[in-house]
Amino acid sequence: MIEVLKPGLETTVQDYPGRKGCFGYGFAPSGPIDHWSFRLANLLVGNPVSAAGLECQFIGPTLRFGRDAVIALTGADMGATLDGTALPLWQSLTVYTGQTLVLGAARLGARGYIAIDGGIDTEPFLGSRATYSMAGVGGLDGGALKAGQHLPLGAPRRIAGRRVRAAARPSIATDRQWTIEVVPGPNDDWIDETGQRRFLESEWKLSARSNRVGFRLEGPEWSFADKAIHKAPEHGSNPSNTIDHGYPIGAINLCGQTPIILVNDTLTLGGFINPYTVISAAFWKLGQSRPNEIYRFKAVTVREAQALRREIDALCGEASLEPT
Amino acid sequence: MIYDEPRFLPGGDKFIEMELGDEMSFDCNFLVHSVAALIRQAKIKGIVELVPELSTIMISYDGDQISFADVVREVGALRRSIGSLEDQELDSRLIYFPVLYVDPWTRACYDDYCAKIAKKEWDPELLVRVNNLANLQQLIRVHSGCEYWVAALGFWPGLASHMPLDPRCVLTAPKYNPPRTWTPKQAIGVGGGLCAIYPDQTPGGYQIFARTPAPIWEPTQTLPAFKQSLALFRPGDRVRFVPVDREEYDYVERKVTEGTYQHVVSDFQKFSIKRYHAWLATIDPKERF
Repeated sequence: MIEVLKPGLETTVQDYPGRKGCFGYGFAPSGPIDHWSFRLANLLVGNPVSAAGLECQFIGPTLRFGRDAVIALTGADMGATLDGTALPLWQSLTVYTGQTLVLGAARLGARGYIAIDGGIDTEPFLGSRATYSMAGVGGLDGGALKAGQHLPLGAPRRIAGRRVRAAARPSIATDRQWTIEVVPGPNDDWIDETGQRRFLESEWKLSARSNRVGFRLEGPEWSFADKAIHKAPEHGSNPSNTIDHGYPIGAINLCGQTPIILVNDTLTLGGFINPYTVISAAFWKLGQSRPNEIYRFKAVTVREAQALRREIDALCGEASLEPT
Repeated sequence: MIYDEPRFLPGGDKFIEMELGDEMSFDCNFLVHSVAALIRQAKIKGIVELVPELSTIMISYDGDQISFADVVREVGALRRSIGSLEDQELDSRLIYFPVLYVDPWTRACYDDYCAKIAKKEWDPELLVRVNNLANLQQLIRVHSGCEYWVAALGFWPGLASHMPLDPRCVLTAPKYNPPRTWTPKQAIGVGGGLCAIYPDQTPGGYQIFARTPAPIWEPTQTLPAFKQSLALFRPGDRVRFVPVDREEYDYVERKVTEGTYQHVVSDFQKFSIKRYHAWLATIDPKERF
């Protein structure tokens, strides 16, 4: 058991790949945005990659351990300490009953992940422990951690003394610039050629008005193809409106002139077009980027996107670990 | 129009948007659900989930089990296997909802919106005016006068878009601008040409003028209707709104609270589009009730 002394800014229980099979009923999958760092954290403590852990956004929590545990910290560097002693990222660490783990504000990256051996053992909802705050389900009481709560843990595994090889870790940009791969579509034909070129050639700033539902972007104007302007009235009045349709996870959803990348707690459908879709292998970059950082988008094919996903999946295995 | 050949549009490496047409019509939506039913029956390895919408199906797939090209080929063949839409039938349950029209809760929500966000015309009166109705009584008659088709699910857990099956009962309305920050749970609203029951206390934009005591999703899965799924509606269901008085509303609400309410569901019907079209030909769509 772990006692939450301070919850951090927005710390949630997540598992990988989140809640499957309910998208058609309006349930987003949730799960960790940087699923690469999350899976590595679980591997370090001997858990299956799917085990529930914590996603700490921007400012991490303060936690007191009610049992001996092996933990791992991955993703953003939140200057973690254990009873005042600094802790390294990307390796398994032993914690004793009564010790206090403190994570602060992210110094590099945005989302820190904490895995504990045995995993977090909250009550699953529809087969997943992932928190989906909008619907108030999963995790602990359906929302972010609060001070005074207790996190139940699974049976300890006591596997320690491992770290992630340097080459198998995501490398978080220190220059605040990110290249994000997208597949054009499903609705790129609603944007005119100039608009398509402008999207791929411009810098886009990640807005502070972003959360686990969507990442808002600030950048140049969009211009539209003829089919977006001359269309039947049931498509709506704005060029970016269309008949309600399903939204892919990762879609760059265009609301008027505001693009919003739909992430893990996405809305499943709506009446705006999705000209581009961020590929799953780029989600770790979304997870580690901070407001006001700059995105540039790079178009790839579906085949290339799947090859990139397989590369990351291959890195999320035992072969990426080495003894400390 | 409804396309002869659907368009398959990539949504990253895990999704494909299948566009069956570009119109908001019952026929196009019926085709969507017919194709979705065939995809589900075919149990194609690697196809994970479907989001059937008004004229599209969002298909999620596992690229390690099936390629984009194979999804296109297999699902495209299923679409072609539907010769004429007229011959299609779909399993369709009919679900009845007790409804208190022009209820105090949506009124209180409207008053709160006017006080805190923006002054606007009262929703039931706006619906009467925009749809050229005589009065609130006719609004109730028209809204409760036909069956609604569950055209799509999603946006919020449990939420469904309902399409009136009788053109004489079509109500249209602009959406709230700016949207409401809250809506009473199980309020009933109209936006564009669609109708919805709000599954929970959520933000919203539809014009609200009624409320049902019967839930449409229940995370605790207490009531019998939710034993199999937390969301009540399935695509292809139909809905009928039954006007009740306050006494009946309170009675149903008590049964819901006790955990004993049984949704009124006819689960033995098929919807034939041929017979629907034949019936449509017999009515004057401009008439109102």
